[in-house]
Amino acid sequence: MSRWIVLSLMLLAVVMSATTLTVIGPWSGPEMDKFMPVLQEFEKQTGIKIEYKIYRAEDLANLLPAQFAAKKAPGDLIFMWASFIREYGQKGHIMPLTGVVNEANYLPGSLNPVKVGKELYGVAYTGKVKPGFWYRKSFFEKNGLQPPKTWDEFVALLEKIKKIPGIKAPIASGDGVGWPLSDVTEHFLITFGGPELQHDLIAGNIRWDSNIVMNAMNKLTSLLEKKYFGEPTEWTLVLKQWWAGDYALYFMGSWITGMVDDPNDLGVFALPGAKGVVFGADYAFVPKYTQYPEEAKKLITWLSGPQGQAVQVKQGGHIATAVGIDLSIYPPVDREVAKIIQGITALDDLDDSVGGEFQPAFWDQLKLLWVQPNRLNDVIRTLQEKAPKK
Amino acid sequence: MKSKAKYVLFFVLPATAMLCVFVIYPVARTFTLSFLNSDGKFVGLQNYTRIFSSRDIIDLKGFSRGFPLGALIHNLLWIVVHLPLTVILGLSLAVLLKNVKGGSLIKSIIFLGMVMPMIVGGVMINFIFDRNLGIVNGVLSIFRISGKSWTAYPDTALFSLIFGSVWLWTGFSVVLYSAGLETIPKDYYEAAQLDGASSWKIFTNITVPLLRPITIVVITMTLLWELKVFDIVYVATMGGPGGASNVLALQMYTYAFRAFDFNRSAAVAVVLTLSTLAVSLSLLKSVKDEQA
Repeated sequence: MSRWIVLSLMLLAVVMSATTLTVIGPWSGPEMDKFMPVLQEFEKQTGIKIEYKIYRAEDLANLLPAQFAAKKAPGDLIFMWASFIREYGQKGHIMPLTGVVNEANYLPGSLNPVKVGKELYGVAYTGKVKPGFWYRKSFFEKNGLQPPKTWDEFVALLEKIKKIPGIKAPIASGDGVGWPLSDVTEHFLITFGGPELQHDLIAGNIRWDSNIVMNAMNKLTSLLEKKYFGEPTEWTLVLKQWWAGDYALYFMGSWITGMVDDPNDLGVFALPGAKGVVFGADYAFVPKYTQYPEEAKKLITWLSGPQGQAVQVKQGGHIATAVGIDLSIYPPVDREVAKIIQGITALDDLDDSVGGEFQPAFWDQLKLLWVQPNRLNDVIRTLQEKAPKK
Repeated sequence: MKSKAKYVLFFVLPATAMLCVFVIYPVARTFTLSFLNSDGKFVGLQNYTRIFSSRDIIDLKGFSRGFPLGALIHNLLWIVVHLPLTVILGLSLAVLLKNVKGGSLIKSIIFLGMVMPMIVGGVMINFIFDRNLGIVNGVLSIFRISGKSWTAYPDTALFSLIFGSVWLWTGFSVVLYSAGLETIPKDYYEAAQLDGASSWKIFTNITVPLLRPITIVVITMTLLWELKVFDIVYVATMGGPGGASNVLALQMYTYAFRAFDFNRSAAVAVVLTLSTLAVSLSLLKSVKDEQA
């Protein structure tokens, strides 16, 4: 009897002493289902237990400053905006990963958003590309439509779609927090201002009321004025409406492939002339206040390295930031996305990179522009006020 | 006597300590933060000057151009539109339902809006005014009026929130007025009826004056709620589009947790605190006057 008690106590002690790391990420539902195999693989390989908690970045932005001030952290590895990681890294709340993570294992420049000088405060996990306008191949075939090769063809396509019976608008406008509108706007800025414009806007090197920005924004508003874009509607709801044929085109990131019934029916095209595409990586960091710094470092290097990312990209909807991942691992539809971005510049997401007060202002001003395109000058003035200044 | 003092201390100290830690210190800290910059240096009224000169707070050009008008003016609009609506509606419903069979059940249903978390209320307001799913457009379509997503447009977003929140808050005034009506002696009504007074005369000369203490409470509580309104706006529109439905509490949040500018945020917090304090003090004075 006493032997059993001792054994039970030993077992309990082993269980109690097992390290459990808490990973905080934004993914829930199908996205979480695709993330969990990565964590499970790490558990299998290392024996370190992982608990996954869902927090939106917007909520973390409220929670973390207070936690950091109390020298606490709600997790051992946290996915968060790059701008936040940079800011709180400099304030000393985030564990530097310089020397821990081998930068040569990542796509060139992909770690820049989480670097301050030479100090690295986070890692780039897999990313999602925002390649252009998605459409259903079956819808295009049924209505005799073709992806455009020039701007004029694009406008003609929208006009043609507008006349199809039952169509609410040619392009669906995703709403919610506001990022779907900013994604499509950035696509216009990159197409008509060039990839350099995106860099300059992030760095605050160029004004929002400059000719180059206004030219791109005028192109966008010319389409808004002609009602080619639908009314902003919650982005998952409008996704269903687009799939059902209420809209023909939907500008969205590559994660859309995991959100539709038949990914093989998906086609995508960028705005004619686009020489850059936003590659939005998910960034993660280890807070300075983790109880298990060594285990957390082990997790973040594995997760963001080729091993972890390979498991993730295999699930679909993700593109690796780590180098050395065999393309054959990708599901076919993601390989299509990879083809689109070949030969064009991968760019950081504008509002995610700038962060701060600019991000919600950018989202909110675009909501205004979408319903009142004649107020472009008001929108530009506000964006200039909130934009980073050199 | 000494032992009595000890007992008093024993009971007062824990509450005082908690009050100091959770109320007095945070308030004092917020107050001091509003006079400092991010480096902790004293900057006088600079944060206040910044917020009051910001278009986020006051945007007078909006009166000629259209919304936004600034968070402070939006809060005032909440008070101007929402306050009379909830007070008048609450009083009317309480009086109308007083002697109606099943009135209590109807009042309970009205009160459901008050029981509901405001976050859920915000989500529901979004649905109510949605182009495809909303009841407002459903009703308009009966009259062949084409609808829109009312919260998506700058001219209608703020008013959608205000009107949408009336049903969330009216339950509060209905319950208070109903309780107040029960305290008015029936003799007053019987005497007035014997004197041949009309229903309107009875309402204006007996019901309304005798419900004055209740009205003071309803107005004060509603004013406080309107000044600090946040959750509904945050969930339904996030203050948009283009800041058209922004309010002070949301702007305070944006400064603190998006711009990470806790000093400017503290300045907005102090303005809000002083406004609510002014309202609360006037309530206390009115109650004192009533008692006198």
